Amino acid sequence: MTDSVTDQKATPVDLPAAAIEDLRTGIQAFKEDPGSLLEALYVVQDRFGCVPREAIEVISEELGYPEAHVYGVVTFYTMFYTEPQATHILRICRDLSCHVNGAVGVIAAAEKKLGLHSGQCSEDREFKIEQVSCLGQCERQPVLLDNLAVHGSMTPARVEELIDSLRGEAS
Amino acid sequence: MPEVLVVNRNLQKEQSWLLETYRRDGGYAQAERAVKGMSPEEVIEVVTASDLKGRGGAFFPTGFKWKLVRGDPNTPRYVVANGDESEPGTYCNRFLLEKDPHGFIEGMIIAAYAVDSHTGYIYIRGEYGLAIERVREALRECYEAGILGSGILGTKFDLDIILRRGAGAYICGEETALFNSLEGKRGNPRFKPPFPTNSGVWSKPTTINNIETFACVAPILEHGAEWFKDLGDGDDNAGTKVYCLSGNVRRTGLFELPLGVTARELIFEYGGGMPEGRTLKAFKPGGASAAVLTADEVDVKLDPSIMQYGTIMGTGGCIVLDDTASIVESAYRDALFFEEESCGFCIPCRQGTPNLVQILERILHGEGSMADLDLLESIGESMASSFCGLGQFAYRPVVGALHKFRDEFESYVRGELPVSA
Ligand SMILES: Cc1cc2nc3c(=O)[nH]c(=O)nc-3n(C[C@H](O)[C@H](O)[C@H](O)COP(=O)(O)O)c2cc1C
Ligand code: SF4
Ligand code: FES
Repeated sequence: MTDSVTDQKATPVDLPAAAIEDLRTGIQAFKEDPGSLLEALYVVQDRFGCVPREAIEVISEELGYPEAHVYGVVTFYTMFYTEPQATHILRICRDLSCHVNGAVGVIAAAEKKLGLHSGQCSEDREFKIEQVSCLGQCERQPVLLDNLAVHGSMTPARVEELIDSLRGEAS
Repeated sequence: MPEVLVVNRNLQKEQSWLLETYRRDGGYAQAERAVKGMSPEEVIEVVTASDLKGRGGAFFPTGFKWKLVRGDPNTPRYVVANGDESEPGTYCNRFLLEKDPHGFIEGMIIAAYAVDSHTGYIYIRGEYGLAIERVREALRECYEAGILGSGILGTKFDLDIILRRGAGAYICGEETALFNSLEGKRGNPRFKPPFPTNSGVWSKPTTINNIETFACVAPILEHGAEWFKDLGDGDDNAGTKVYCLSGNVRRTGLFELPLGVTARELIFEYGGGMPEGRTLKAFKPGGASAAVLTADEVDVKLDPSIMQYGTIMGTGGCIVLDDTASIVESAYRDALFFEEESCGFCIPCRQGTPNLVQILERILHGEGSMADLDLLESIGESMASSFCGLGQFAYRPVVGALHKFRDEFESYVRGELPVSA
């Protein structure tokens, strides 16, 4: 979360002009709600899977924030992404309660099953693994979120099953 | 001590999150009574007399906070519910948000009336998908039923409450960082003073309270200040606390107990003790920010007085470690958390948190030296001057573990313990 505001820009994803116009209309309501930038960014991300460069431009124009401000906000929060992400972001908790209940094994099993390191997206963009801070679900230690869906009491075997069943849904 | 369900009284009910369920048992009657029949000063007096203290971890007296906000002539004033709940080992707010959203919303309405505020914000961490859905729906129900909006509950008092989501940042639980986030900015903390009571959201007087704090308010109005005070352990503590248990313990979960229950009761009676064949080694009374205590200290009370043992009560998220757990590894996990969550705004914390991680990694890999142990201490000293509470607490679990379990750190350095992953 520590990246400072630089002159970097988010990646453009070649949004069609119609999508950009649609977004322009979609965020008009936020003009009336001061401070609602994060909510506007959620709208963007729900549509495009990340906050691409074009969307930062639209938000800046419509809501009146400098582009650098919008970029700075996007990069501050770990749940916003400037790059296209995977369909399933597997967020696995690495904090203490989950740790003493086998989180390391769960993470290793997910990495092995998908052939990925934490932080990486699979080539087909189906999966990404993230090691994250406490998810506030510690009674079900160790915990994994598939996007926002909670899966508790994880084991290496259960994480493999989960990945298989998510793959099944996709095909 | 038996479990006492005040804050969590509604959680077991079927469809507990619906307005209909909440109203069936007298829900919103206290907000209505306050707005229609009490003066704001009377409300503040009752809450002050109840000795309710903020459940967000700092235990600041709630009635006094409201009095300060009301006493500031600057308007508009704001009410903010802090549902960022990201302290490791803590999940009590989540149950309230998911299963009894109307309970804390009623508390917010009473607070808004008390400080004469017409806009409230609820800030919930972005990972809490179900909580966000339920609160959004609860607000919709309130507007439909005239509990929120213009002229609430058939009175002349107007109140809007706006739901906002965080997006993955522990620091946004810190009140001034939360205000920045609400205003559409990066979640860096602000310098204090001015304090939120004078300068909070939009630099206006603001009362910010934890979800559980707000959830205590309607029961206090219903049953009275004395009743609430008597719920505590009989010493200095008023009311109950929803303790969360996790780690190496048989039963995890929430236990609402008189504030000031001992760690022994919580861990052994309610948590059922350690898994088969294991013994208690240590516990962290209040999330990652709290330094560990040893098994010998298990008779301490879980209340703010725990400071005398060099740790904090924090959120009441008690993390239990048994004899199979490595203290050095647990300190490393805490250090990783703070490194990731440091907002990077000030140097002692931005530099100190990764330094702690690197040194602990060295030690865990059997490559540490005795000098590294002193280095942990001196980094801690430099972090004490951090800008906000995150950095001011981040080193304490590491240095605290070193003080209480120095032998174990030294064994790692001498290469006597299994080299960990
Ligand atoms: C780093 C940091 C994180 C915090 N996170 C939370 C949180 O998630 N929830 C919370 O209620 N208070 C949190 N606090 C405390 C708040 O700043 C504030 O004191 C609290 O919300 C006030 O509510 P209360 O008086 O009801 O306790 C945090 C403080 C710090 C320094
Ligand atoms: S102490 Fe840490 S979290 Fe707080 S302002 Fe400094 S860098 Fe940010
Ligand atoms: S420590 Fe893993 S969810 Fe809390």
